[in-house]
Amino acid sequence: MSDVVVATGLGKRFGDYRAVDGVSLSIARGSIFGVLGPNGAGKTTLLRMLMGVIDPDTGTRSLLGSDRPRDVAHLIGYLPEERGLYPSMTARDSIAFMGALRGLSWAEGRKRADVRLETLGLGHAPGMKVRKLSKGMAQMVQLVGALIHDPELIVLDEPFSGLDPVNQERLEALVRAERDRGATIILSTHVMAHAQRLCDELAIIAGGRRHFLGSVEQARALLPMAVRYRPRVDGDAAEMERLLPDGATRQDGEWRFALADDGVEPLLSALVAAHHGVEGLAIERPGLHEAFVHIVGKAAAEKAS
Amino acid sequence: MRVLRSALVVARRDFTSIVLTPTFLLFLLAPLMMIGFAAIGGTGAGQLAQHAGASERIIAIVPSEQLRAFAAADTQLRRVSGPPRLVISAGQDTRIGALGRDPNVLAILTGSAERPRILERAPNSYAGRYLATLAETVARQGLARAADTHAASNARFETIASIGTARAAQSGLGYGAVFLLFLLSLLLGGQTVGMLAEEKGNKVIEIMAAAAPLEGVFLGKLIGMLGVALLFVTFWVCLIGGGLLFVHAQMPENVAGLFNLTPAIGWPWFIALATLYFLSAFLLLGSVFLGVGAQANTVREIQMLSLPITFFQVGMFSLASAAANAPGTIWASVAQWLPWSSPFAMAARGATDARIWPHIVALGWQAIWIAITIALSVRLFRAGVLRSGSGGGWSLPGRRRANNHP
Repeated sequence: MSDVVVATGLGKRFGDYRAVDGVSLSIARGSIFGVLGPNGAGKTTLLRMLMGVIDPDTGTRSLLGSDRPRDVAHLIGYLPEERGLYPSMTARDSIAFMGALRGLSWAEGRKRADVRLETLGLGHAPGMKVRKLSKGMAQMVQLVGALIHDPELIVLDEPFSGLDPVNQERLEALVRAERDRGATIILSTHVMAHAQRLCDELAIIAGGRRHFLGSVEQARALLPMAVRYRPRVDGDAAEMERLLPDGATRQDGEWRFALADDGVEPLLSALVAAHHGVEGLAIERPGLHEAFVHIVGKAAAEKAS
Repeated sequence: MRVLRSALVVARRDFTSIVLTPTFLLFLLAPLMMIGFAAIGGTGAGQLAQHAGASERIIAIVPSEQLRAFAAADTQLRRVSGPPRLVISAGQDTRIGALGRDPNVLAILTGSAERPRILERAPNSYAGRYLATLAETVARQGLARAADTHAASNARFETIASIGTARAAQSGLGYGAVFLLFLLSLLLGGQTVGMLAEEKGNKVIEIMAAAAPLEGVFLGKLIGMLGVALLFVTFWVCLIGGGLLFVHAQMPENVAGLFNLTPAIGWPWFIALATLYFLSAFLLLGSVFLGVGAQANTVREIQMLSLPITFFQVGMFSLASAAANAPGTIWASVAQWLPWSSPFAMAARGATDARIWPHIVALGWQAIWIAITIALSVRLFRAGVLRSGSGGGWSLPGRRRANNHP
């Protein structure tokens, strides 16, 4: 797969504040790429630079084969973090307007708007003024507007915020459908569950720097497997801490600790021999959430030191 | 091409979003308030005009030997029609200039009954025709005495405006054009920035910035508002023009005569040029408002930033007004060359100067400045909308950092 986005050493300062600091990444065509990071990490600034909405102070970027991202703006669909619609326009015209800005005729835009809103269960919305729509509906209208011209690259900045669970699922399905159509999707979010389900690859940004680049599985693999153990006969804390690996913690009668390199069997033998027995045992791979917290926490610690 | 296409998309949206709303009707009819005040003033003026009707008169300055014949003919003719009072005197026509400036004098006859010269307020006026009939009657009586059957009188008609106060009236017309253009360009040019404030507030501008060239967005906003402005102007020109034509036809001759002024360049050219100068002034001012307004984020900031522009424009208006009142002076030249006052001053020039070529030069000169202003304003607009940092934009104190932390 060829790369749709290639960025090298992108940096941006606003006065004394360094929003993005030397970020490099590449995004394969037809993939869903997550840009993750805590609030204020620099995700939106990075996306704006990639699309050419703002110019970087340092570094280069190439978008859909062009060094001048604004030349290919008509091939991009963009849902910004801060939603923007004209309150006095109808949902249909709002979508057609966004399509027209990208070269679609108004008539075709209106036609497609009706069809796509219907598909999303918003068949009653096309003629409604934006000011009459609920926040979630308005967000879906804006999303349809971003996709109305069948873009090659779709940039979604925090698309799930403000949506109810039903619409979140609809949106996830929509993102997958766009990927299946052949579009490349860049998804910025700080909700790890969505990223874990959707993203093929991701970058984790914190303090303006990229601290991870790889697949979801690679991110999860940064942490050891986690063990949850519930003894049949609980001992006193000192004895249990002596038997269990370093860093074991107790919560609601359950001990949690990282899986040792030699597996769980030697530990279980020791626990059985000490008459604690096993009432429950689970070995789990950490989720993206834990990996994210680990990476971001490490980044914060590095910065502090 | 993409710039033009985006400009048209933005222009279409802006135009329809303004025009197809009930509030536009309020905007369109807002001048009614001004007209209402004018009507109140007009009522007073009408009462004055009615009062003046009692002293209306027509004048005949004839050779002394025809004095009695004219008086007799007037007595005879007055039985069948009722023209204003006739004042007959013998002598030369040296008083015509002073009489022409008196609005109560509807028509003046000079010369002999056989070759009368008739000066009237409006062509083919009743007063003028009455004096011609009077001369014809006197001339026929003279021929009858001589048993001559040839044609009696050969009257030559002129309008009084051509001999009297035309120059001053044209200057007044020029000042009126300056005032109207200034008012319209300031009111409508300032509107462009209001829409931008809304878009910055609801973040639509970011979507536009990501989707289309900002030059296109800028031009689109300018063109959209220009369309609204032209619609506004066309509506009122048609309404007021039609109204004036109707009212003019209903006016007493002496009052109607006061409106018989023609700009030196002629009405068709004057209206066409005034329209072009309005476009020029609007583009110059609207682009500055857009460029500077893009730096603001709230209506309050826009008002603060608009104030110096408004003061500057008032200064240009004063300069152009001075030029309208004193054509041909150094101030007039300065006002005509200074790009910001040039549209107003040149419109005023059209009222007093019949030459076309200065307008062609002025329009070319203004076009250059429009291009320069738009180019600079686009840069300012881009910096303001995107805060692109390297774009060299500026910001209100303490604003940039707060705005740019995503």
